[in-house]
Amino acid sequence: MPAGMKPLEKFLKKQTNALTRAGGFGEKATGTGASRRRASLSRVVPFFRETSPESGPAREVFSPETEEAPCWPSATADIRSPSLSSDEQSSEASLDTNWTPLPADTPDNLALALLESVAGKRYANCTEILLDDFMLTHPIFLAPDKFQQVLLQQFSSEGKQGEGWPGWDGAERKLAVLSVAFRYLDTYRDLLQEEGDRSNTFPKELYLSAVQELSRFPDLVEDVLKLQRWTEILHSPAEEDKESRKKQVRPLFRHFRRIDACLQPREAFRGSDEIFCRVYTPDHSYVTIRSRLSCRVGEILALVKEKLQYSEDQPTQPANLILVAVTSSGEKAVFRPSDEAVFTTLGVNTHLFACEPAELESLIPLPEEIHWSPGDSKLHDMSAEEVANQLVVFDWELFSCVHEVEFVCYVFHGEQARWRPLNLELILQRCSEVQHWVATEILQCQSLPKRIQLLRKFIKIAALCKQQQDLLSFLALVLGLDNPAVSRLRLTWEGLPGKFRKQFQQFESIADPSRNHKSYRDLLASLRAPLIPFTPLLLKDLTFLHESCKTFHGELVNFEKMHKVAEMVRSIRRYRSSQLAMEPEPSPSHLQTKAYVRQLQVIDNQNLLFEMSSKLEPKDM
Amino acid sequence: MPEQSNDYRVVVFGAGGVGKSSLVLRFVKGTFRESYIPTIEDTYRQVISCDKSICTLQITDTTGSHQFPAMQRLSITKGHAFILVYSTTSKQSLEELKPIFEQICLIKGDIESIPIMLVGNKNDEVSAREVESSDGEAMARRWKCAFMETSAKTNHNVKELFQELLNLEKRRTVSLQIDGKKSKQQKRAEKLKGKCVLM
Repeated sequence: MPAGMKPLEKFLKKQTNALTRAGGFGEKATGTGASRRRASLSRVVPFFRETSPESGPAREVFSPETEEAPCWPSATADIRSPSLSSDEQSSEASLDTNWTPLPADTPDNLALALLESVAGKRYANCTEILLDDFMLTHPIFLAPDKFQQVLLQQFSSEGKQGEGWPGWDGAERKLAVLSVAFRYLDTYRDLLQEEGDRSNTFPKELYLSAVQELSRFPDLVEDVLKLQRWTEILHSPAEEDKESRKKQVRPLFRHFRRIDACLQPREAFRGSDEIFCRVYTPDHSYVTIRSRLSCRVGEILALVKEKLQYSEDQPTQPANLILVAVTSSGEKAVFRPSDEAVFTTLGVNTHLFACEPAELESLIPLPEEIHWSPGDSKLHDMSAEEVANQLVVFDWELFSCVHEVEFVCYVFHGEQARWRPLNLELILQRCSEVQHWVATEILQCQSLPKRIQLLRKFIKIAALCKQQQDLLSFLALVLGLDNPAVSRLRLTWEGLPGKFRKQFQQFESIADPSRNHKSYRDLLASLRAPLIPFTPLLLKDLTFLHESCKTFHGELVNFEKMHKVAEMVRSIRRYRSSQLAMEPEPSPSHLQTKAYVRQLQVIDNQNLLFEMSSKLEPKDM
Repeated sequence: MPEQSNDYRVVVFGAGGVGKSSLVLRFVKGTFRESYIPTIEDTYRQVISCDKSICTLQITDTTGSHQFPAMQRLSITKGHAFILVYSTTSKQSLEELKPIFEQICLIKGDIESIPIMLVGNKNDEVSAREVESSDGEAMARRWKCAFMETSAKTNHNVKELFQELLNLEKRRTVSLQIDGKKSKQQKRAEKLKGKCVLM
């Protein structure tokens, strides 16, 4: 990680600490949440070759010592998302001309305000936005059970006039509740299915209440039928679907990848999906466990102990194992037993180790991560066009797998966020993979002329990705070419024709992070959907937004912040709003390229990359 | 993926439930468990003596199911020695070793110099026996490999199994003893090979 990263990361960490102390996340400032996000941040931030702390005004941090009621900055103040270029800002403003931010309120009251809006009683001109905002962000401040309870209560309650529901009649209230309930079920369908019977009572209970009201409100019949269908959908997902999901273990880690599976269109991962994973011991022995993606670290360790035949009644066997992630360059991160869904947070060549606490210092990376053997690359035989095509197609599959709510959950970890942003984490991993793929291919190429050819090829591939508006691979390729181990190959770069060098310089300037990534943001603003944004920056923006103002002040939710988060998610929605033109069935040679692109073997140990680089062009040259 | 050049890789194959993991864990950890946990693929490493120095014995315990043919092929390709396990209580399990043996022959080509041990495990189960030791021996003769019966449960012949396997290795001198104490058998074997023995 280039030295310049550290100031930025420190800055962000300070913000996190300040806010944790202030009790700024959710109802409980969970240490898990904060440190989990910290780990994610360090994965997001290294994508940029930052040379200085983020420019722009320092974000204000509200401290609990502020006594006056939270005076949320007005809509045009510095809290406005940095990701919005001036163009986007004005277009947002035109959508929001009538948007009046909901004043801060308790979660329950916000839910009620939402219902009032849906019923046309209040904030009538921005119901859709309010509803969307609420749907996307409510898990941050309102537990699902509570939200469901509110809906059920409001449906059944027969509030009298003047009891806080002025001018409502029974039907209006019930229709509002149903409208919101359906929107909720649509949005969270997958998560609710995951949770199984725990969540299934909601549509059923609502259905039962509604059925009782049919005699008085016959107009509800359509909705009642809809509720019945929802009860079925959540209660018993197609039996065969359940069975096949149960039996099938999905390939996640490369030892267990199968070519046939990787050629299929990618499906979104769910917490309940099972995967195989190798867990190593200090001497590099390993056991393979089968586990749910959402598994707790404590459970993983229990599985490992079971395999290794550890038992409590054996005094010589240690009972307190810890789980450690060891990167290919030897960095270590220790997990807590309560940490969940850790598999998708690992770096490309990071491995899980189980050891006793005393053995932590002695852990070293596997031999394959610190040595390398030269081999022939298949890339020489593949056309830049076909490689770029396959990169783009795969990126779209990955991007499409990410549910909107994952973007929110990535930043707002806490008790409330039960949905793990698995597919989003896999996109970040892919980004890192592509970056390191570039460096690996170039540094493995012993012959200078061939290496120059590879450089040309990668620049061409980058140009094609940019053309196809896949900014994820585009920037990953550029950053890969900017890897210090690669950029120091003076002879190789000098061998590049002027045209390519010029083009690459243009590309580099797009990756320039100065003035808050202005070049990139300008490019993004000039594009129309479908496009894939550079996801790490998107998450960085969301993180900044989260860090820059508090979610809660005491009991009250800062709904304006929720609105801004939702705005960011809506921009992602726009990027995906039209479909990428599907390509016809690939030919056999294309299939080879497709398999290659989806099973990249990369070296991500920066020390090793430098070693390889020095061998190609020794320092004194 | 670079392998350590001084690893000595032993791979254990066999049908599900014959006791592969039990044998390996009894050898590596000295423990035994009644409960059955299907293996996917585990590998244990242990320092042993090799020629004049030390190397690492790497024992790969494989899956009894056929989920990962590619993984199986890979472990055969990289393996130096093989243990084929059946259960003395199951004729079927001996039959199931045939395709595995054929795979090894196919991938390795000439298996003459490759240590292969046919193992009949669970020989503590006297009443449930389906395969006589003579049947195992006969199979071993057909395959031109070594044969042994073991019991992971009673710890019968487990260490001997691995020691014998290493003794079969002619391409280098590998031994479990790293403190220099050698069995008479080993000393004889080494004399025959004419290699110098470091204390």
